[in-house]
Parts: sequence; C-alpha cells; structure tokens
Amino acid sequence: MLFKKMLRDIAKHKAQFISIFLMAFLGVFVFAGVGGESVGLEVNSNNFYEDTNLADGWIYSANISDLFLDQIDCLGATTQMERQVVVDSVGDFDNDPDITLHFVENNTISKFHLIEGKELDINDGGGVWLDKSFADAKGLKVGDNITFEFENYTIEKEIKGIGYSPEYVYHASSSSIIPDFNKIGFAYLSHKAFPADAVPYNVLNIKFDGNPESYDELLDYHMGGYYSSFVERSEHTSVGQFADEIDQHKMMGDIFPVVFILIAMLILLTTMRRIITHQRTQIGILKACGFKNYSIILHYLSYGFWLVLTGSILGLILGPMVLPPLFYPSMSANYKLPSWDSAWSMNFVYVAALMVIMSLAVSFYSVKGISDEKPADTIRPKVPKVSSSGFIEKLGLWKHLSFNIRWNYRDTKRNKFRALMTIVGVMGCSALLVCAFGMYDGMNDLKEWEYTQINHYDSKLVIEEDAAQSQIDDIASKVNGDEIMEGSIEIESGSAKKSGSLLVLNETDLITPTDYDRNSVEIKDDEVSISEKMAKMLDVGVGDTVRWHIMGSDKWIDTKIDKIHADPVSQGFIMSADKLKDLDLNYTPTAIITSDHVTEDYNGVKAANSMNNMTSSWDELTESMWLLIYILIFFASLLAVVVLYNLGLLSFTEIEREIATLKVLGFKTGALRKLLLTQNLWFTAIGFVLGLPVGYYILAIMWESSGDSFYILPSISPINFLITMVITFALSILVNLMFSRKIKKLDMVESLKGVE
Amino acid sequence: MSTIIEFKNVDKEYKSGEHILKAMDNVNFTIDKGEFVVILGPSGAGKSTLLNLLGGLDSVTSGQIIVNGNHVESFNDNQLTEYRAKNVGFIFQFYNLIPNLTAIENVELMKDIVDVDIDGLSVLDSVGLGNHADQFPAQLSGGEQQRVSIARAVAKQPTMLLCDEPTGALDSKTGVLILNLLQDMSNNRNTTVIIVTHNAILAEAADKVIRIKNGQIESIAVNENPMKVTDLDW
Repeated sequence: MLFKKMLRDIAKHKAQFISIFLMAFLGVFVFAGVGGESVGLEVNSNNFYEDTNLADGWIYSANISDLFLDQIDCLGATTQMERQVVVDSVGDFDNDPDITLHFVENNTISKFHLIEGKELDINDGGGVWLDKSFADAKGLKVGDNITFEFENYTIEKEIKGIGYSPEYVYHASSSSIIPDFNKIGFAYLSHKAFPADAVPYNVLNIKFDGNPESYDELLDYHMGGYYSSFVERSEHTSVGQFADEIDQHKMMGDIFPVVFILIAMLILLTTMRRIITHQRTQIGILKACGFKNYSIILHYLSYGFWLVLTGSILGLILGPMVLPPLFYPSMSANYKLPSWDSAWSMNFVYVAALMVIMSLAVSFYSVKGISDEKPADTIRPKVPKVSSSGFIEKLGLWKHLSFNIRWNYRDTKRNKFRALMTIVGVMGCSALLVCAFGMYDGMNDLKEWEYTQINHYDSKLVIEEDAAQSQIDDIASKVNGDEIMEGSIEIESGSAKKSGSLLVLNETDLITPTDYDRNSVEIKDDEVSISEKMAKMLDVGVGDTVRWHIMGSDKWIDTKIDKIHADPVSQGFIMSADKLKDLDLNYTPTAIITSDHVTEDYNGVKAANSMNNMTSSWDELTESMWLLIYILIFFASLLAVVVLYNLGLLSFTEIEREIATLKVLGFKTGALRKLLLTQNLWFTAIGFVLGLPVGYYILAIMWESSGDSFYILPSISPINFLITMVITFALSILVNLMFSRKIKKLDMVESLKGVE
Repeated sequence: MSTIIEFKNVDKEYKSGEHILKAMDNVNFTIDKGEFVVILGPSGAGKSTLLNLLGGLDSVTSGQIIVNGNHVESFNDNQLTEYRAKNVGFIFQFYNLIPNLTAIENVELMKDIVDVDIDGLSVLDSVGLGNHADQFPAQLSGGEQQRVSIARAVAKQPTMLLCDEPTGALDSKTGVLILNLLQDMSNNRNTTVIIVTHNAILAEAADKVIRIKNGQIESIAVNENPMKVTDLDW
C-alpha cells in the first residue's frame, strides 16, 4: 500500500522527481560515457603498445655500434634492446611527401602492426611495410612498388604489408599540427634493405626495468657523452600527445558528473524535505496506526532510491554505448589505432553505487528528524519557528526599509537551508558559465595571440633539410622574406627536464615575441629568452643558468637566461642567429617567413603554409573543444533553471499561505511577484559572486591539464563576464515569471481554510 | 442610517463535472453603515460563500453586489484587488498573520496597499497590545494574534470588517474579549462589522442577524436593543 502511496506522491511532485531522475541519469551517463571513451582509449592504446612491445625509451646517437650495445646491455636495468636506422625520406609522388623510414634490425621492439599483407620479414630486403593512413591516402595496395629518396640514395621497394606502428599513433609534420596523411607517412623495412654495407644505426629502442628517471640517471652516469639524448616513453611525441588527449577527456568526464550528481542530491534533499514537511500529519497518522518507525523511514527512503537507481543503471548502460561512438570518429581522424572500442571500468559502478548511497543518506537525513518525534506531536502541525530580532532590526534604518525587504530578510533568516541550496545551485551554474565562457575567451585569445600578435607573416615556407644555404638565401630574397630556424630541444634545470622548442630569429618584424600582456619583448642579439611556462616548469628565472641541447645532438650547453617571454603554444627558447653561433651551434634555417602571399613552388621548399591555412587547421583541431564549450553553456543554463525552479517551487509551497493572505489583504499580483523576485535576485546575486572564484578555479585546472606546451591563464573578458551575468539573472527572472502564473491562479479561499 | 452593502438576487453555482452545486440561491439583503451584523447558519449553509463574495475573493454567477454604490460583481481581478485593499478588513479563524513580521510590522504592512498614514503603535494600543508591538506572531497567544489581526484589519479604515469564525480557534473567554473588541469597533468607531459564525448565542448582541440555510436566506432580523457581548450568557 505504501508503495502505491509513493507512486502517487511521485506523480504529484513529478517536476522534482523527473529532475532527480534526469540528473542522476545524466551524472552517471556522462561519467560512464566519457569514462568509457577515455578508458577505452587507454585500454586500446595500452593493448596496442603491449602487443607491439612499444619501447620504454629511445636512445639517440649518431652511430650505435656493437660496442655501444654491449655497454648498454651491461646496465643492469636494460632488459631488451634493438637498433634501427631512422631517416627522413621523400616519397616519389607529386607532392613530395615526407616518409620516415625505419630500417629495423629485428622487429622485436615497437613492432609493426600488420593489417594486410604478410608479416614483416627481417630477411626480406626487397619489401617495405607501409603506414596504413598514408597507403589509404595515396591509394596504395600490397604488391605496389614505392620509391623513396633520402640522403644520396634512391630505393624502390615492393609493399609487402600495410599497417600501424605504436610510435605513430599521433603523427604530424613539423609544419602543421593537424596530420595530413597525404603528406606524411612512415615505413618499416629490414636492415637488409638499407642501401649501404655499413648500416648507420642511430636509434636504440630500449626496454628496461624500474622507473624512467632512474634509468635516465643510470644511463647518464655510465654513458654520458656517448649518446645525444634519451627519450622516455611518456615524453615521446606520439605517446605523450595521446596520453594528454586521454587526460583531457578524463578531466571533462570527471567535472561534469560531479556537478550533475551534486544537483541531483540537492534536488532530492529539498524535495524530500518538502514532501516530509507536507506529509507531517500523514506520518503522524501512520505512526498512530501502528506503523513501525523503520517502515516509515524505509518508505521515504524508497522515493529517491528507485529513481536514482533506475537513473544510474540506465546511465551505466547507455553512457558507454552512446558517447564513445560520438567522439571516436573525430579522434580516429587525428590518431591512428588499430581498434576503437569503448571500455568498461568498475569505477562506473562504484560511482553509480556511491550516488545511490548518497541518495539514501540524503533521504534519511530529511526523514530522520520527524521519525524521532512522538506520534502525538507529529499529528499536529509543526510549531512555527520563532523569528528573533537580530542587530539589523535594532538599527534605526530597519524601520525605513520597505515591507518587501523586511519580509525577504526575515524569510531568508527563517529558511536558511532553502537559501543555502539556492545559492549553491546558482553558484554551480555561474561557475560552469564562467568556466565555459572563460574557455571560449581563452581559445579565441590564444588564436589571436599566436596568429596575429606574435606571428604576423602571411606565408611560411618550410625548407627541405638538404637545401643549401645559398639556395635558401635566394628564395628568401625572391619572396622578400626572413629566415628562421625552429627545432626541438631539451632543457634541464636541477632535477627537472623538459622538452621544448627552439626559435632562432634574425632581425625580423614578422614575429614579435611578447609577454603575457601582449607587450612586445625585445630580445637583443646576445640574449636568450625562455618562455614563461617553461621557466615555471623548470623553476628558473632571469639570471639562472640551464643546460640544454638540440634533439638529435649530444652537445649539451649551459646558457644563462636573459629574458622571459610568453607564448601560448610553444615553450622553450628564443634567440638570435648570432647568439646561436656564439654558443657554437650550427645555424640552419628551417623556414622562411614573409608578408607576401606565396603560391609559387620553389625548389628546396617542402611546403608553403599561408596564415589562413594555419588558422583553419587550428580551428579544425579545436573543433571538439568548441563543442564542449557549447555543451557546458547548455548544461549550466539547464542546471540553473532546474535548481531555481525546484527551489522556487519549494519556497512557493512553503509560503503559499502567506502569499494567499497577502493577496486577500489586497496586494496586487505584481507586488507579490516582486516579493518572490527580490529573494530570487538576492540569492542569484550571492550565488553568482560566489560562483566566480569557483569557475575561475575550474578553468585554471582545465588550462593546467591542457598539456605542457599550452600556456593560457584563466581569465574572462568583460563582455563575456557580462553575458554570464545576464544569463544567470535572466534565468532567475524567467523562473520567477513561471511563478507569476501560479500567484494569479492561487486559490485564496482554499489556502486560507485552516492548516492542513 | 445609510445602506452601504446590498445583495440583489445573488446566485452562486459551483460546477464539478456534470454536477452543479447551488451555494447561493437568490440572496437579498442590505447592511447599513456601522451595523454589527451576525450571519448564522449550520456548516455547509453557504456562510463562507457569502463572505467570499462580499470580500471580493470570489465572483457571483448572477445578481448584484453593491458596496458604497459600486457594483462589485462587475469588477475584474485588478479592481477586486483594489476593492479588497480599500474596503475590506479580513479577520480569519486562523489569524493569518505574516509569521516573518512583528506585530507592529504586520499592522504597518497595510501602508503598502492603501494611502493611509498608519501609526501602528496606536492601533495596537487600541486593541490592547501596545506592549507586544515588537513580538513575532509565534511569540503571541492565539487571542493576542487575533487582536493583531483585528488591528491590521482596522488600521486601513476599511468600509467593513469581515470576520470568518473569528473565535473558532480560541477558548471561550478569549473569544468573548475578541467579540467585545469587534462590537466596540462597530459602536464607537462606526465600522461595519460582519461576523460569520455558527454560534447562535451571538445573535442577541447583533444589530442585524441574517440566518442562512441551504444557500438561501432563512430570515433577517433586526435587534432594536442588542446586548453587550460581555453580558451574553456564554
């Protein structure tokens, strides 16, 4: 019978219970969905890494001899190793694609993952095993021949297999952040395919025991000076980028559900309190009839329990089914994995269970007080709370305040709980909005900063590696451009070691290094400037000395930092060509920048990227980010409406009698609406103000998690701040308007007929 | 004395589905200014309906209600609100004070709806509650709360006081005090007081007694020499 009563009660309060159900569902749905996606990525990539025996680390050295191998082997921690020659080649196609060739000694570490054709045969010097993305882009099939040019060699091989490599889950060229598989690719070959008798091995794939840091130290201690660099797995471009991506998804998957679940609990708490207050006398009657306390408690616990339980189960089932397929298509365009499956984690069940338990606790908290009372007391209406006069009332000012303000002040004082809930709800809403708009601003700002304020050339010509300096100078003068050099470096300070970028500039007005406030930073010819984020990560400042080397070279250099600049997307050094030469390093320009729009195809130029190309590929990369921002704004608004409406309804029911009395006394509907609006606006204002730092904090965490190379500080533009405020308050007023109909329809006679 | 309230052929029907309930059936009566009127009848007779119609809380199905020369039955919602604010002082069985406001604030609240300067303290003094002005309703006894509600009703100097079982929730001794206060309002201040009750004893204290039954007027009697409420045999 009580079950029937519950169903009818739920039907009566359907708005609240639908909200509870929805929020519980959405919370678990998003958590399990995004979780299923990110755990899926993790599981898929880990399986892939495992299956192909991805290296734990890579040692780069100009020539890896047998002796070198023996020495590495003598380091106790090394468990497995294999040499490769890795060279950049140009494929024989119209667009001169960059193909990275791996001539492998055994194919035991970082193995080629075959999709079609036959497995990589280490004794087959005539075959090549090609990147599937590149093969697809070029329409190449097993059995086709393909020609590569590198250094002074030209080799033609037959495609024996097509597949993936664990070192190329993420693969983008130096000239673009978006992979264009028509222009880049990789290929695996047997060392026997190398067109020289002595194979100049330059990369050693390592598997080792223990953590990478201690291996690095061990290596440095024993072999320091005999190799150019060591890259551990997490620093590898492909592995690192993919792991960052997974982390970002996880971050989103964690923040959203927390908000939904909190809201579900908030609404459950307020609704249950309201129902129980309303049914106080009913509870008394049940008690008087002889119902045991625990069966009454159980009855009230079951309201939220069933809804939250069904919502969670539905979310658990649907989340991992629906969300990952939405993300995977755009993911698989940029990342290459043999399989894209969503995965399941017990964490989802734990979170769902936690939510169900929380809902029980919340319901229990609401019903506990009443179940402790004597039936005789419960059967009578609750003794009204006595208001007391605080210091504000004692001030002379009080008497001059309008009834509206006095009434609202006292009502708030008497219903602190309701006030608190509303404030928390609005706070959540404004925090999410601040976060969403902050991201919006940050993304726009970053684009503006990087592609307008720092880089203001029109075209960037990426120079081929074997181009002669005279050839470069020639092109530069033809296009009226300036030469720059870009490279990857590794910087070390104390115990911290970070990879970063190097930018070498001659006198140019096409790139303007700036500080965080966009004031240009002048870096003199004899100065080295470090980016602000890199300085923070290494914990260094102006005047400190850091050790660094160019990736691929074993020459470490100590350099004093003279300046600090800021850059949103690349962290590292900026210096002049003279300074570079001073440090005894080769200046080899890698690109020419010009304010002309270059379309002509020069010999020695690998690619010409216009600023438009770069910004549009940036837009493409950030597409999913924008989607997320819109979703965030939508849910923040939904949240505000749900919370304000529910709490508004709650407060309306509580003061219905007073409102009816005021109406009978002759107060106009407008005045009464204003009465309710005033309170809403107060709470909205407080919640909004409190939400700002919370949103700012979430924003800071989000930017923080966006990866080492990004540097954005949380901030929100005045206009978006205003929009955030307008949305929050507009929603508050909108909800208020929903109540004005209720005030109009309020049956004065019924409301006044004695206490329930 | 002049007639200030007139019911002319008033009908009131409530529809619930197919069923039509006639709560007021051809009701006619007049009330003069300053009269102390008692409306008597068993429960379900239509007393509250009558009071609701007169108080502007509900509208007639047909007929006319004329108050101070205005046709109340023709008022729209806004006019009804205005009418309630200016003409009607309600006194309820359960007082219906605003729990968030102190006694004096409950009285001075009326300043927000009528253009009358109200000295809350002197009004409260007139109901004998001057020394409880700063207390909240929950801190007052039932009788005291009802006195605040009377003070609130008279403060705006309405055309009439409408009292719906004003002593229903009080013990008889306190009830007499309240009724006495209401009679004084009528006698000394020339306020029209209309009390709805099922307690027939009060009839002897009224200037006019209207008895209703099944939605119809059973009788209207005028007392030439009404007794003092305090002299009644309770």
